[in-house]
Order: sequence, then structure tokens, then C-alpha cells
Amino acid sequence: MLEWHVLNETFEKCLKCNACVANCPITANTLAFGGPKHLGPERARLVENQNPIDDKRIEYCTLCGTCDRSCPENVPVSTLMAYAKMRHQEQTGSSFRDFVLSNAELVGKMASGFAPITNLAMRTKPVRIVMEKVMHMAAERHFPAYRFKNFNRTFASSEAKAAEIHIPKLSKRKVAYFVGCYASYNAPEVADSFMQVMRFNGISVLKPKQKCCGIPMLANGRMKQAAKNAAYNCEQLLTYVHQGYDIVATCTSCSLALKKEYRSLLQSDAAKELSAHVYDASEYLRMLQENGEFNENLAPVEQTAGYHAPCHMRAQAMGSPSLDILEMIPGYSIQDLGEGCCGQCGTFGFKKEKYAVSLQLGKRMAESVHALGAETTVTECGMCKNQLDQLTDKPVRHPLQILAASYQKAAAHAPTAARI
Amino acid sequence: MTECVETDVAVIGGGVTGVGVLRDLALRGIRAVLIEKGDLGHGTSTRNHGLLHSGCRYAVRDPEAAIESYHENLILKRIVPGSIERTDGLFVKLPEDTDSYAEKWLASCKNLGIPVTEVALEQAFKEEPFLNRKAQAVFVVPDGAIDDFTLLIDTAEDAKRHGAHVLTYHEVTDLMIDQGRVSGLICSDTTSGKQTEIHAPIVVNAAGPWEGKIAKLAGIHFEIINNKGMLVVFSHRFNKHVINRLRMPSDGDIFVPAHDVTIFGTTGKNVRDPEDFSLNRAELDDMLAQGRALIPTIREMRLIRAYAGSRPLYQAHAASGSSGRDVTRGMALIDHEARDGIAGLISITGGKLTTFRLMAEKTVDLICEKMGINVACTTDQIPLPDRRSEAFLRQEQLAPAAKNKLFHWAGTHTAEIKTRLKATQAGQVLCECEQVTWAEIEAAIPKQGPFNLGDIRRRTRLGMGPCQGTFCQFRAAALAGEKGVTSCHEADQAICRSIRERQKGMAIVATGETAKQLQLMDAIYKVSLGFQKEEKAHV
Repeated sequence: MLEWHVLNETFEKCLKCNACVANCPITANTLAFGGPKHLGPERARLVENQNPIDDKRIEYCTLCGTCDRSCPENVPVSTLMAYAKMRHQEQTGSSFRDFVLSNAELVGKMASGFAPITNLAMRTKPVRIVMEKVMHMAAERHFPAYRFKNFNRTFASSEAKAAEIHIPKLSKRKVAYFVGCYASYNAPEVADSFMQVMRFNGISVLKPKQKCCGIPMLANGRMKQAAKNAAYNCEQLLTYVHQGYDIVATCTSCSLALKKEYRSLLQSDAAKELSAHVYDASEYLRMLQENGEFNENLAPVEQTAGYHAPCHMRAQAMGSPSLDILEMIPGYSIQDLGEGCCGQCGTFGFKKEKYAVSLQLGKRMAESVHALGAETTVTECGMCKNQLDQLTDKPVRHPLQILAASYQKAAAHAPTAARI
Repeated sequence: MTECVETDVAVIGGGVTGVGVLRDLALRGIRAVLIEKGDLGHGTSTRNHGLLHSGCRYAVRDPEAAIESYHENLILKRIVPGSIERTDGLFVKLPEDTDSYAEKWLASCKNLGIPVTEVALEQAFKEEPFLNRKAQAVFVVPDGAIDDFTLLIDTAEDAKRHGAHVLTYHEVTDLMIDQGRVSGLICSDTTSGKQTEIHAPIVVNAAGPWEGKIAKLAGIHFEIINNKGMLVVFSHRFNKHVINRLRMPSDGDIFVPAHDVTIFGTTGKNVRDPEDFSLNRAELDDMLAQGRALIPTIREMRLIRAYAGSRPLYQAHAASGSSGRDVTRGMALIDHEARDGIAGLISITGGKLTTFRLMAEKTVDLICEKMGINVACTTDQIPLPDRRSEAFLRQEQLAPAAKNKLFHWAGTHTAEIKTRLKATQAGQVLCECEQVTWAEIEAAIPKQGPFNLGDIRRRTRLGMGPCQGTFCQFRAAALAGEKGVTSCHEADQAICRSIRERQKGMAIVATGETAKQLQLMDAIYKVSLGFQKEEKAHV
């Protein structure tokens, strides 16, 4: 794992300009947070070769990465924050709740195993009150539903279903799909859509062995566990990279982890190599389009939509690939909501003491959805969806779900064309 | 109208030697007044490395200074715990350093009784990851880091508590000499010009580089070699220990960890004018080139400022061509009655920060002899009040880093700061780099002299971090104006002065980030806030 002194030259670039503070969504909403400048580069400098200073306020950082993007000096503020979180966790230990929340994969496996019961329980008031009392999980917070038929169980059938799609010519490209916990356990329909969209583009998909990307662990200061997962995923995925596979993820937090976090967590050439082969799903499709490899046989979808850009999508500095792709669908009218952080921030919004801030953060986004008055909201992130589901009454879709629907419609209306 | 003050001893110079003498006098029950033309330590005593010598550096060339340093090192660690960090020091032998020097050095340290232990290279590299991997041997010695700012201020405060008086911003304009005997001095307030006569049968000249000038007032020729050294400050503390090079003392071979920064130096160049604090780019480059031998990545690390100060060296028969390195670091106590026939005038010079207490002891011993009294020195026994104060650890409204700062720093101001913290927003951090709160600033503002951000800086570290006051100087001055501590006009002047002073030190090292920082500072103060040049300085 990364030693402190490796980070030396990173925090010393800080000019104290406050750009990160001015842009930080948490700082804008609560004074309980010390801000990214102080808890990141400033604190790192103050403890270098001196006694550690533990600051509980680091718990308010969601690792959204807005600070990184706003820094004119390229200080990796969020990486410094992740380290501060680790130090804090080492000093104070993880609460049972944070341990549970950071284990999205384990929870996903268990909760989906007893899906009807867990979902019912999570909607039962007395259960939630007990959970708030015992585990400090906000009772009012809606939880995403778990699916008994999670994607681990349905991958084979999803693959078979995708294989039924007749396409004119198979691409030379091969994709190893990093599904992520959310699409695996909560939204297998997103994974299904991905399988189909890839098939419509003539690309075969396989699902490599994988573990949680580690983002929830990182956000809860469990950096060692995150590094373990990173090492596992890195090794697994690289074997596919070496066989000519591209690594594609439908979750923008997962793709951020694979692209950026693993490099600082592992500090290895392997992580560096991997990062060059990782794509967000929409980014990947946009790349296909730019190379003339994209299947543009898209049927009209007469619908209005507002697009919410997740923080971890923006942290990848790739523009808005989902907007670029969806705008190619005839009749589809999508507009950027132009709001910042949704406030759910992964595990953050489930925590009792963060709940009020989480809702306050989400308020502007909800108002924006309401003001736009579109029929649906589109976002890549399952956690942003969770907040949108709770704060707005519009259905929320992943961009690939829209795209898959358009492809299917096109195939149904012009079956012969698709079979040529 | 001239004010008259009666006392036993007048001490000229508010550097560490002067305040040391003042405290020693006070502890021995002798009435004394100290006169300083600027703020305490503005001249030499805050323009050094902050190295608490173990004596090892001088072990070969100047064993007398070495043994003095070692003994004082042990005493100071005991009596000024709050201003000293026991970092220990490393002496690193590089391939280009001769074996014969290392052998001589080891033998001499052993002979002098200074404990030296060799450490395994692997261990040294682990603890100091930036150290040159080509190092052949590393030895641990009892060096330390000493905070000259707090040491100086605490010593002066303790002297005051024991009845001594301190007049800062008072410049000595004349010595009163009557038939070959000094009877006092005349000084004037540098702000108002108001004159004060200090009647004292004994005058101690502890003005460091300015001692020649003071002696001239008595018509005496007394030459001090002003050996100017340049130092640089790195933006953060990258070493745990003091790092020395195991060779004949030379330029650019000591790295001292000082709170949140590392200080590196130094050079030695004789200058005529004691006010010459000029910085020279070529000198800096030479020094950094030397430093690369110990810390190979030195050029990639961010420097935040450079500064210079003069060592007041004394040689009975000074050769003017001397480089300064071969002049003794030992102290010189001169009784001008014996030397020049002026009774009552004593000069104390030379020596080191580490030996300031001993210099004071010797000086006051001589004073006692002259006054015909017999009181023993106790400064090696009675400790200064500790800087550390646990009182703040439980303060809820303070951020942990600010708490930590106060814990190490509040000292005798603890009660006052605690009271002031109760005011709204007094616990807010103004200087973020060094975690200085308004409560702390308010408690530290000196009662004498004009409102000066430099005085606050020396007492709180305000503006000493990487941004060099880009943000906090304005905040501090504005709040001082708002709270009626000073007038808005004076606050404006203080900002202009302080910005000029900060920028001077930054400009010389302004490459990379520091160049950008300088631009940002200019943009904020000169463009956004519209500060122009200050009025004719009266300080």
C-alpha cells in the first residue's frame, strides 16, 4: 500500500486557493465538515513526521471527487481524504453499521438470498426504528430493493437471451463486464440491458470473476480491505486485458475505482496498465461511434428526460458520454439537469447523523427535476437513483436501459434488416 | 519631555543573549531594563536554523564550543521543554566525505563525552526516506530542534514576571559616559520619537551584529564580524531528525525539522552592515547544490521562502578576510573597563543560540562581581513555564488541528486564550497553514510598538506556512481593525509592510508552486484589494 512519503509532492502543490472548498458539495451544506482543503492537503502537511491528528469530521467526506476536478494545481485531494479516512478508521475502528454499509457485496449476497423478506423488512417501520436505534441507519431513508434473481444467478440466461439477437456482423472487440454490486444485486435489468446493447453492436461479453470495486470501503476508511479487493480485481481483469478484452462497467463508481483509485491504492504497474483499458459503458459506446463501429440502427423513443450526472462520472473527466449517446436516439429529448451532488453519496445518505445533510443536498436536484418536468430521469449511478426515487416521483433509468429499448424496438420493426 | 528610569543594569539588544541576561539578572534579584530597537529577536535570534546543537558539529575544529554546546544542550532540554523538540540528529557520511575526518570526529566526540551511536543504514533510510542511499554510515547524536521564537518570548516574559522591564521599539541613541564610567543610556521610541533616559551603573551591550555601533557611542572601536548566513524553508517537514553531514562544517549541510517545515542552510559571508539581510540567488543555488548530496531530491521539493541573518562573531584579532567558518563559535565576554577603560560597559557576543544561557550566566557573574554581590546563577535550575497545555484538548468548539496547535503553543497565555475563545468565532482558524486562531492572535499582540503583523507572526506562526500569508494576513489585520485593536489605517500599513517582507523572502525561491503563490498573493492584495505601496515606513 501507498506510503505517506509518496504523497509528499502531492500535497505540497496546494496554493490554499480554496477552489476545492468553494466547489465542495458537503461544505456548501454543512459547517460540520472541515472542508477538503483542510482535511486533505493541509492536514497531511501538519501531520507529516509529527504526531497524528485525528479529525472525526473526515466522516463527512463522501469521496465524490469534486475537489480533484476543481483544483487548479492537480492536487489529488480526494486521495488525501481517503488516507485521512483510513487514519481515522484505524484510530477509532469501524462501527458495525459502517462495516455493514462498506460490505456492499456481502450484504448484496445475503439480502438478495432472502430478497422478498429483506425488502419487506426494510419497508417495515418498526424494523427501521430498531435499525435506527441499534445501527444508526436513518429510519426514513428508502433502501434499494434486492433481487432474489440477482445477476450472478441470471447471467447465463441473460447471455442466452442476448445471443438470440441477430446482428449482421460480429465485431472483433471483446468485453469483460465489470457488473458491480448494484447491477448484480439490485438492478439486474441494467446488466441485462448492457448485455443486449453490446450484442446489438456485435460485441461478445463475458463476466470475469470479480469482487466489489472497493469504493464503499474506501468511503468508510477501510482502505486495507479496499486495497485487497483492488488487488484481486486488478489481477483477474488483467488476465482478460492480456487476451484483448476491454473492461467495461455500467456503474460510474466502479469505473472510477478501476481507472483512478486502484492506481493510488496499489501503486503498481499492473494498476496503471489496467486503467488504460477501462471504460464506462456510455464512454465505450461513444468511442465505438467515433470509430464508426457503433450500430446506429436506433428506433425513435418519443420521451422527455432529465439527465443527472453522478459525481463519479464527472470525476472521470470524459464529458457526458451518456448524453452524447442518448442524443442519437431519434425523438428522444434529454436535457442535463445541471445540478451537482445528489446527496446520497453511496453509503453516506443511509447514516442517521448524515441523513439531514443528505436530504438538503438532494433538494436542489429534486427541484431541478420538478422544474424541468420531463417524463423520466436518467442517471448511471444506482445510488443517485436511490436518492432520486426518494425525492422525486419520476421513474429513473440507466442510459443503457433507454438504449436497449431503442435497439429492441428497431429490431422488432425491421426484423429483416437486422437479420441481413 | 524626557522620561527617566533608574535601574541597576541596562541591557541593549532584545535577542536571545539580551533576554537571557535579563532573565538571569531578574532571577538574581538585580533590577534591569532591556532596550530593543525593534521587536524581540527581529535581528539575529529569529534568523537562524533553530538547531539545538549537541556539540558534534564542532567536535573536531572547536572542541571548546563543542563541550559548551553539549552541556547547554542537556540543560536547555530540562529548563525550556516547551521550546525544544528532542528530534535527535543524524550525522551522515557520504562517499565523498573522508574517512579520516569521520575517525577524528568519532574520537573527539568520545573524548568530549558526547554520546554518538551508529545506526544501521537500513533503519536510517526507513526513518529518513529522502536521505541519499549512497550514505556509508549514519550516527545518531543528541541534537534537537529549538523554537527560537518561543524561547525568546518566554524568556523575556519570565524575566518580566521576576521584575525586569522590556522596552521594545526603542533605539539607543547615546550612552551616558562620565569620566570613564558609564552611567546609563538615552533611547528614543521609534514610533513617537519620545526620549527616555535610563540611568544604570552597568550597561550590557548584547546587540549582536549591532554591537560595534553601540561601542562607537562610547567612542570605542570594537569589531564584530558580521557573518551572514542564508537559510531556506521547505513547505513541509520531510525529516524526523536533524540531518548533518559528517564532514568539516561547511555550507549547506544541515536540515532541521521545525514544527511543520524543514529549515536548510546555511552559508557564511562577511558583511559590513548589520542590517544587510539581502538574499542572493547564486548563493542559494550553491547551497542547494551542496544539499543535494544529503537529500538528492532537494530540487523537486517546494521551497516557501529564504531568509538571512548575521552571526555576530568575535575574534580578538579579527582578520577581515576571514570566511567566518574558522572563527570560534565560542562566546566572548568583554569588560570594556579592562579593555578600553570605560567602566560599567560590558559586551557579550559570539556564542550560539544553544549557549545563550551560559553566555548570560557568565555576563551576570561579571556584573555581580562588579556590583560586589554574591548571588549564584539559577537559570540552569529554574525551568521556564512549559509551552504545552492540555487545557485545550477538551475544547469542543475547536477543530482538532487548531487544538493540537494550542496544545503545543499556548503556554502562559492558556488562561487568556481560554477566556477569549468564549467570544463568537474566536476559535476560527485565520491562518490555515499553521492553524492560528483569532483568540491566540489577540492574546499574543504585544502591548508596545505599532501594530505589526511580523510581531504577531513571531508569536503565533501566523503566515509562516506554504501560502506565506496570502490569506491570513488580511484576515488578521481586518479583524484587528474591526475589534478596535488598531486603527484601520494602521492595519492597512501593517498589511503593506508585511506583504513586502513576505514577498521578499518568497521571490528568491519563486519557482514552480511558490512562483504561482506569489502571483496569487499579488493578485489578491494588489489587484483585488487594491493595496498600494506603504507610506514612508516609520518602523
